[in-house]
Amino acid sequence: MNPKENRYTTEHEWIRVDSGNTSKIGITDYAQSALGDIVYLDLPEQGTEVRQSQKIGEIESVKAVTDLYSPASGRILEVNQAVVNEPNLVNEDPYGKGWIMMLELSNPTEINALMSSDDYDKLVIELGK
Amino acid sequence: MKELKKTALNQLHHELKAKMGDFAGWEMPIWYVSIIEEHNKVRSSIGIFDVSDMGRVEVIGKHASAFLDKLLTKPVAKLEPGSSQLCLMCLEDGGILDDLFVYRIGNERYLIVWNADNTKRKLDWLQHWAIEYPDVIIKDVSNTTGMLAVQGPKVSELDTLKCVAHLSRFSHTETEIGNAKVFVARTGYTGEDGFEIITDAVGIEDLWRLLMQNGAAPCGIGARDSLRLEAGMALYGQDIDTSTNPYEAGLGYLVNLNDGNFIGKQALLIIKNNGVQRKLVGFRMLSREIARRGYKIMKDDRKIGTVTSGGYAPTIGSGIGLGYVPAGLADIGTDIEIVIRNCPVKARVDNRRFLLGEIENEPKRK
Repeated sequence: MNPKENRYTTEHEWIRVDSGNTSKIGITDYAQSALGDIVYLDLPEQGTEVRQSQKIGEIESVKAVTDLYSPASGRILEVNQAVVNEPNLVNEDPYGKGWIMMLELSNPTEINALMSSDDYDKLVIELGK
Repeated sequence: MKELKKTALNQLHHELKAKMGDFAGWEMPIWYVSIIEEHNKVRSSIGIFDVSDMGRVEVIGKHASAFLDKLLTKPVAKLEPGSSQLCLMCLEDGGILDDLFVYRIGNERYLIVWNADNTKRKLDWLQHWAIEYPDVIIKDVSNTTGMLAVQGPKVSELDTLKCVAHLSRFSHTETEIGNAKVFVARTGYTGEDGFEIITDAVGIEDLWRLLMQNGAAPCGIGARDSLRLEAGMALYGQDIDTSTNPYEAGLGYLVNLNDGNFIGKQALLIIKNNGVQRKLVGFRMLSREIARRGYKIMKDDRKIGTVTSGGYAPTIGSGIGLGYVPAGLADIGTDIEIVIRNCPVKARVDNRRFLLGEIENEPKRK
């Protein structure tokens, strides 16, 4: 159910290495569905250095505010302005147009410690019980 | 954790795949599909809510009117059978114990519909004062009945509700819909036209299904909250409670100091004469950030209040909120700041009935 090429955190973020050390990050379908209509994203500026598991922003739905953690260490290359302007894209297409940031990885091997899609599928099924 | 109470529609909500959550000790649907979608449905068409969490108490007896006039801030003796009023129940010091609807069903029979919290305290309060009125019977019918709200501008177009379309605002009747005996009132908590329907807990699921088939969209408490906030209606337990008085909460219109001698009247006379120190105001965010309950309200680097209700307003398209500020800073147009993520963010005091001009507002409704 969750894309094979991504890695996942227990906090329901995903990361996908596009090429070399460049990656995209976002929140999972489970996360967007649990949050409901997303209406605001508070995100770091381009160029910010972040560490793996560091709180880097907040996502607000109509009902709730939730923290966003970085799935890996590196530098923010780009913040997706499309989701900043239209936060609902994260609900509509969490793995596609709803990506949140591009991250230049400073330590690509960190990603290996994250969950595979199979493991994350299992976690989601477990949480749904 | 204490087990959550369930309404008679609980199974149906699960069947409809609602996201469920805790509301005042009840397991309630927060949303079915999306809060914004449900909110918009009620503003443009028709939504249906399970509001069975609200308490329903019958007050019956020869002295029921006198008893209620002792407890409520507006005399019921003037209500005709078939009509209702929104009013408050206050403590001796003028603090608000609840805001409630009282429906006069017959000369000696009333129905109170009040908020889900504090039920025991409120029932005890009623029982306590009823000692002086030995013929008055207080009957909590919350568990044997259920309650629906059908709300939205197209509500009287529903086939099922044609038979009550003649009801004017705040009036009510007892009739039959489908196979169910129902109490229907033209009241609600969304800022839209609508009906509230009380029926036997056993028959409420069929009634819900019938209304859904007719085109009413299921709506959860998420939309209930965003709708009432946009309409500037205070939520008990958040914007008002026993530590707030009606005048600072902008609910003076629910208090009648001219007649009778209800509990809290003496204190409220003094409060009204002295003028209030703080006022509950509505504010609108000037950027896209969203104010939430508990956030600080600032003016010129000084804390002037706290947000009591805040959130995203789908019809307005920005963040709005309510909060108490000093009376001198309560005028519409006053620039304030809300502290969000440790940063003061610009906001402006607005007409608390945020949609005024777009929707008709409650107190002016007949």
